[in-house]
Amino acid sequence: SFNPDLHCCLHLATPVLSRISPELRPLLSSVVRNGRVGLDSTNCLRISDLKTGCTSLTPGPCCDRFKLHIPYAGETLKWDIIFNARDPELPPDFIFGEDAEFLPEPSELPHLVAWDAANPECLLQLVKELVQQYHSYQCQRLRESSRLLFEYESLLQDPQYGLSMEIYAGRKNSWTGEFSARFLLKIPVDFSNIPVYLLKDTALDPGEDVALLSVSFEDAEATQVFPKLYLSPSIEHALGGSSALHIPVFPSGGCLIDYVPQVCQLLTNKVQYVIQGYHKRREYVAAFLSHFGMGVVEYDAEGFTKLTLLLMWKDFCFLVHVDLPLYFPRDQPMLTFQSIYHFTSSGQLYSQVQKSYPYSPRWDGNEMAKRAKAYFKTFIPQFQEGAFANGKL
Amino acid sequence: MAAFISGYTFSSVCYHSSNSDSDHEGFLLGEVRQEETLSISDSHIGTSEFLQVVEVHNHEPCTHLFSFYDYAGNISEENLNRILKDRRKNVIGWYRFRRNTQQQMSFREQVIHKKLSSILGVPDLVFLLLSFISTANSSTHALEYVLFRPNRRYNQRISLNIPNLGNTSQQEYKLSSVPNTSKTYVTVIKEHGAEFFDMDGVMKDIRTIFQVYSALQEKVQAVCGEVDQSERVKEKIQEEVNKLKQQIELRKHKTVEEETSALQEPGTSTFSASLESSARLLNLSGQQPPLLTQQTSHVPLQQGSLPLDWSGTTSPLTLPAAGMAVGAGTYTGPPSQDSPSALLLPRPQAVGSPGHPPLGLRLGNDDGSSSNSLERHPTGWDVDEENEDNVESEEEDDDENSSEYENLMSEALSPLVTETLMLGRPAALQPDGDVQSSPSL
Repeated sequence: SFNPDLHCCLHLATPVLSRISPELRPLLSSVVRNGRVGLDSTNCLRISDLKTGCTSLTPGPCCDRFKLHIPYAGETLKWDIIFNARDPELPPDFIFGEDAEFLPEPSELPHLVAWDAANPECLLQLVKELVQQYHSYQCQRLRESSRLLFEYESLLQDPQYGLSMEIYAGRKNSWTGEFSARFLLKIPVDFSNIPVYLLKDTALDPGEDVALLSVSFEDAEATQVFPKLYLSPSIEHALGGSSALHIPVFPSGGCLIDYVPQVCQLLTNKVQYVIQGYHKRREYVAAFLSHFGMGVVEYDAEGFTKLTLLLMWKDFCFLVHVDLPLYFPRDQPMLTFQSIYHFTSSGQLYSQVQKSYPYSPRWDGNEMAKRAKAYFKTFIPQFQEGAFANGKL
Repeated sequence: MAAFISGYTFSSVCYHSSNSDSDHEGFLLGEVRQEETLSISDSHIGTSEFLQVVEVHNHEPCTHLFSFYDYAGNISEENLNRILKDRRKNVIGWYRFRRNTQQQMSFREQVIHKKLSSILGVPDLVFLLLSFISTANSSTHALEYVLFRPNRRYNQRISLNIPNLGNTSQQEYKLSSVPNTSKTYVTVIKEHGAEFFDMDGVMKDIRTIFQVYSALQEKVQAVCGEVDQSERVKEKIQEEVNKLKQQIELRKHKTVEEETSALQEPGTSTFSASLESSARLLNLSGQQPPLLTQQTSHVPLQQGSLPLDWSGTTSPLTLPAAGMAVGAGTYTGPPSQDSPSALLLPRPQAVGSPGHPPLGLRLGNDDGSSSNSLERHPTGWDVDEENEDNVESEEEDDDENSSEYENLMSEALSPLVTETLMLGRPAALQPDGDVQSSPSL
């Protein structure tokens, strides 16, 4: 399937790749193309600072060393990768940026021990293994705080969260002695049943739909905790935007193993609402179709968010536009009555909006259609009067 | 910890590195030693500091990467021995060169370093990282080098001392403390060394200089003896003079008494005559020529002995015991006006020179700068202007051209001599431990 955002990534990477020594290009292009190393799939792996290890008189392209940017636990790791263009079959060397104490055991890196330059995926696999080792190293550093270590270990035991966790144990602030850490967890919510129409804006979403919870501990005693929810853009849009998603504040003295399931539940509920809402709307529209038959002018056949009726009452024809909200049936539909004869001073058709009318979310589609019909009968006379009074023909 | 590398070894490492088309690595050979510095000062009891000194004598470049280790960083002893052969015991570190990278040890370098230290059995193995940083348009290339000792937790970077790499216009060209281990060099030195060194390995020039020094010392001792003698004689004469003075006084009294009693009788001629005679006596006593110089004028001096220029004194001298330094700051009186106090002695031929450098002349040091060596004279050498002029006028007739050379030599000598004068060493002097017994060119 065509993924436009990845295509975008490659386009940006192409001028970079063209400067790389030809023998090393396959290895790098698979890194840039696949780009998924951690939990955060919205950020690709990026390459910058291309340099060469050959003499300065060597004609290009001959770059064989660069910086790789890897998103991890809300941070970006900047690792130097050093190849030798004259010996492209040899495995690369690494400088782990500011993490001078990170020294993985080579035997834990199978793709280094059995480096195969002919396999274009080799570098990507090696980077994944290194990130895994880096994660272990960060978890080791959690030992400096027993409280945070407890958080980590309790999460580890839960199979739902333990396997997809990224932890970044920040530097100890040498002045205050404060120790900080960030947990990035994948929230296991099933987004597959979200109606496709809500997710159709694929330009924003480069792939898998994912919800990530980032919890920052600014101190080792967990008195300052800042949670944040990250959703892939289409999910966020489907659920009504960031304003609709408020996660509860982290309770003081609480712990992740209790908090994370809460957030998970909240999200799941929201997804359920959205899915339900879609079905309910569809049911509503179907009922209106059957009740009003030929009176239906048009309706949104994809999302069932809109419905327009043309009705006549005592030789007075009028339009009724029904707008169904995202969280229908919790939120009631908005009715807009419109005269087909009268104009307002601004040149628009005269209309009146009704947001509150007899309604209950517990009615089914049929009931809603019946009640709507009844309501129209009661409301139309005053609408007609209003139209004649305020509008011009 | 301090680290030293000779200029030629460093440039050889750079040469091999910059001529390689990829990363380059090799081993550093040399030795590590402990230096203990004992510092004594008035403010505290002497403390001793231990300094570990690493000297890089040579290097062994590797022909290609991964020549002694595998992808996982495991060292192959077989390959290691093949590269190093019998120089394995001299390995004190290793180096790596990589262009356009950070001055930080990489992942593989750290892995290899750990394994190498344990295999070679060198706990403080050092790692030299060289890197070329080039600007984008290749106009400037900077070679950066850092020496690490990664097995320590703190202070991992040590400064590498390379002699003569720097601003040499302010400093003289320095010799490296790192010895030259080349066999060819040693052979040549042995062959030609006999021209410069005697059998004990001491430079011949040094022996010659010490011979001069001892000769001077001898003469000074002899002069001390003479001074002592002349002082004694002077004392005796002084005593006699005092006695005579007393007698004069007595006679004066007598004559005054006689004359007052015989005032009625004329007879001034005897008085004036006696006055005259007594005045003459007074002049004799008051003149006080510097007896030493008079004395020295009678003493036959040999060639090469040092002329003494004593300014006159008005007080009797009490000489310390023979052998003590003469002129240990006691000659500060004003000089006598009449006779020249400096009687120049015949000048020696090559070594050493007589006299004192005239005030007006500026002396040159070997490198073209000049200094006023007069300040270096101790207080015993009280040189005054008038004597200088006199000296100069006498010298000018003799040898104008050699004056500067002689002054130079005297400037070189006088500190030596003054030192002996001041410190008053015993006559028998041996060359002391300042002489370098190891030959060094």
